[in-house]
Amino acid sequence: MISTGAFPYLLGLSAFLFTIGAAGVLIRRNPIVVLMCIELMLNAGNIALIAYGRFLNSVEGQIFAFMVIVVAAAEVVVGLALVTAIFRLGRELDVDDLSEMSE
Amino acid sequence: MTALIAVVMALAAISAIGVVLSPQTIYSALSLVVTVTMISVLFLLLNAQFLFAVQLIIYAGAVMVLFVFIIALLNPEAEDRPALDYRAMIGLAAVAAVTILVFVTARNGITYGSGGFRGQQVGAASNPYHTFAFGPDAVNAAGNVQTVAGQLFTTYLLPFEITSLLLLVAAIGAVYLTRRTKEAA
Repeated sequence: MISTGAFPYLLGLSAFLFTIGAAGVLIRRNPIVVLMCIELMLNAGNIALIAYGRFLNSVEGQIFAFMVIVVAAAEVVVGLALVTAIFRLGRELDVDDLSEMSE
Repeated sequence: MTALIAVVMALAAISAIGVVLSPQTIYSALSLVVTVTMISVLFLLLNAQFLFAVQLIIYAGAVMVLFVFIIALLNPEAEDRPALDYRAMIGLAAVAAVTILVFVTARNGITYGSGGFRGQQVGAASNPYHTFAFGPDAVNAAGNVQTVAGQLFTTYLLPFEITSLLLLVAAIGAVYLTRRTKEAA
């Protein structure tokens, strides 16, 4: 069982995972890796939710984390379907190339 | 126990760096498997047994298998390792700054004594609909899965049902996006 002394470390780990995921979204060009980095950010949020829930003696954190996991699963399904659809069009898997909506 | 927590956290952080910096996509995916497994261990240590099981089954099981399947199907080529130029340095500084800031804030900015947070009083006072009364250790005593299910199927029943709708929409969207059109066939 984790004591309350570990709480800052848990929040620090959560912040580290979130920022490293955000950095990955910004620097990686493969859309599959970008989706994985988004998963990393959602997991970081889950750590913070569950740590707060544990140390506030409440299950709400776990319930919100459960909702986040469901949303993450849906997001991966749609994201990978998009990647497959892009690949089927014969396009290269590179988010720098897939920018015609911004032009 | 403290050493175990430190090892789990260090492995999670190192494998998260591996997700971002691996040139090969498959190595990123395998690093992410390690990360989500370590996070599930943290959930178990934080007395969230249900979330531990969900994390292992959904993330390490379903989602990562989907990722590895797509990587094997599409076989994306390796990417150049990001160059360590000034922009990468700014990014690393931002990661370190946010991490240290949150750690220091969590350590000094929030008051908690040896008896834990005063979260029960705060939650009851700020939320007048807080009818599901826990004692301070009810979450530990009653069996965690029971308390989670008790809340999930009473107070949070509507959001729970909406997530099922969300999954249905996601499944339909995935089928629509990957369908074979007539001109492509």
